[in-house]
Amino acid sequence: MNVIEITGVKKNYPLGTTTVHALRGVDLQVAKGSFLSIIGPSGSGKTTLLNIIGCIDSPSAGSAKIQGHEITALNDRQITDLRLHKIGFIFQTFNLIPVLNVRENVEFPLLLMRKYSKKEIDTRVEKLIKGVGLSEYIAHKPAELSGGQRQRVAIARALVTNPDIVLADEPTANLDSETSEAILQLMRDLNETEKTTFIFSTHDPEVLKYAKNIVKIKDGLIVGQE
Amino acid sequence: MSLTFKIAWRNIWKHKGKSLVIGFILFIGALLMTVGNGIISGMEQGMADNIVKLFTGDIVLISDEQESDAVLFGNMGGKPLKVIKNFEAAQKILAQETMIEQYLPVAGGMVMVLNEASEMEHTMLLGIDIHKYQQMFPDSFRLTEGRLFKPGERGILISEKYRKESYGLMDFWILPEDGELQKNNLTKEALAAADNLEFKRNLVFMGASTSNSTVDVRVPVKGIISYKSLNELWGHYCIVDIETFREAHNYLTGSQPVVQLSTEQETLLQDDSLDSFFGTDAVIEEQTTSEENYSVESLQELTKKEATTVYNPDAGSYNLVFIRLKKDVSQKEAVAQLNESFQKEKLPVRAITWKDAVGVIGSMAVLIKGALFLFILFIFFVAIIVIMNTLSMAALERISEIGMMRAVGARKWFLKKMFVYETGILSFFFGGIGILMGVIIIYILQAARFTTTNEFLQLVYGGDQLNPLFTGSDLLIVVSGLLIVTLIAVLYPLKVVGKIVPLDAIARE
Repeated sequence: MNVIEITGVKKNYPLGTTTVHALRGVDLQVAKGSFLSIIGPSGSGKTTLLNIIGCIDSPSAGSAKIQGHEITALNDRQITDLRLHKIGFIFQTFNLIPVLNVRENVEFPLLLMRKYSKKEIDTRVEKLIKGVGLSEYIAHKPAELSGGQRQRVAIARALVTNPDIVLADEPTANLDSETSEAILQLMRDLNETEKTTFIFSTHDPEVLKYAKNIVKIKDGLIVGQE
Repeated sequence: MSLTFKIAWRNIWKHKGKSLVIGFILFIGALLMTVGNGIISGMEQGMADNIVKLFTGDIVLISDEQESDAVLFGNMGGKPLKVIKNFEAAQKILAQETMIEQYLPVAGGMVMVLNEASEMEHTMLLGIDIHKYQQMFPDSFRLTEGRLFKPGERGILISEKYRKESYGLMDFWILPEDGELQKNNLTKEALAAADNLEFKRNLVFMGASTSNSTVDVRVPVKGIISYKSLNELWGHYCIVDIETFREAHNYLTGSQPVVQLSTEQETLLQDDSLDSFFGTDAVIEEQTTSEENYSVESLQELTKKEATTVYNPDAGSYNLVFIRLKKDVSQKEAVAQLNESFQKEKLPVRAITWKDAVGVIGSMAVLIKGALFLFILFIFFVAIIVIMNTLSMAALERISEIGMMRAVGARKWFLKKMFVYETGILSFFFGGIGILMGVIIIYILQAARFTTTNEFLQLVYGGDQLNPLFTGSDLLIVVSGLLIVTLIAVLYPLKVVGKIVPLDAIARE
């Protein structure tokens, strides 16, 4: 079963008097439980493709279905809810809320959902924080954590809503190799145990050895799949 | 604590500099508004207390022919006030009204003060029946020299303010007719010239009637008075017995001369028949001559009429009636009810509020309130601009954080709420401190008991003493002001926040 179905997606950005064609007709189907890496050189369209899959950008043309929802047909509120309930994000620069501590950052999406009790939230958050190995930093603010620790908080936050898809844009770009490996192993383990679909972009060959599937992208077009 | 409130609260602490800038402006705005409103409330209360209780009562009755309502200070140097016609009928209505506690008919107007040495000057006179006046306004003034005139007695009570002014203008020092010079009451200039002072113990007034005829009246000075409050303002008025006022203005007086007639003369007047005077039955039946000396003095003595004066002040004319209402009676309703009664009886009188009667002085509170409102509006306008700018900058600086929140599923309203909470907390905290400090300042000002002899400041103070008040309605005004500023100031930043999309956040990483 495909959780993502991208058909003929194009994305154009106006840049002064010219137009940048970031995606020039991309077709992609991603099955549930995939651990997919999108690779390609800088400016190839990796991030744009991830943004469209993550419903934080819309295609200029073509169709993008996430869990069967055609995102071009949804309004802002519906898209926001889709992101909240179905998609988890791991950003390159972690993007944690600086005024909240580790526990509060992780529970943030759950509080937005307003459907879990305090007890359920606590159980879930503590389990995930323990899972990413940050139990002893639970009350620390992001500024008091290292890069790797912050990225692990971001992973916990992305997984706390039990999403169908987790998107990670170069999740290890700002981490040392040892931490990168630990993070990727964690993501892989979660993929195995929770059957969560992971899609991440990278141009680091070391990262690729963790991927089950690879999509190569160049000049806004998919040029290969493994 | 809600998630939004928690983030807002911590952001305030994280961005202390910006929070302090916004907070300081809100603090100053709230402080100024609180103190300003307190002073104005004190002024309004002071005006009401001092003018209503000591000078005019709640309502003033005037002739319906009177063009302007500003009868007490509005027509200085203008036309004389119109006489209240059919006062007797109006009085009946006043006596029957259950909402009226007391009323006092008087006559007010301007007279010229004649002076041999210099040009004529003027003063305002309030013609009163001293007995009734003291019943209605027992604390209106205090006697500093001399004595009061008695009921029915002619005399004037000169205000200290007028005595000082008249010395400056006409170079004489007014003394009560039986009084000695009290050097400690002299002005600095008069004291310097104490050895050569010219004294006046009576004054000659020239009043102007509505028919433009003039009458000179000499009146003895009985005493010097100082008004209990608003002396600089009310000191424009000297108090004179009602009959002198009426004579000076050619009004109908209440003093009717009564001639004592002999029995023979009364018999003659009781007889209706003219024949009795001119008939053949002569009253004088026999005429004899004598050798007596009929000098002018002896003839005057022989023909002297025994006459006394019956004093009935209400038999003469008035042009004002001061009315005091019973407690908790609305001035507005009472005015309406009285006017309705007068119209029903077709009486040419109208009731006006004391504020209308004292003219612009009664509206001072409104005028100063308006000026303060404009000033506060300016402060708040600056505050709105600064807060708006600071919050918009804050929103743009936190664009990736806000974008990330949107990306993980926060709706626009959640983020807008966060900014509303931030500004609201600052407004509540710093505005609250501003109000609190303002109230403390008001209490300090109350305790300091600042007094003034400056005419303008007396109006601002609502009396001789600054006595600011802080009422519930003042609190409501300040809180509403803060609320409005907060809401307006946050509008544009909310628009900025609403435009931030997840992509913006990622694009700016």
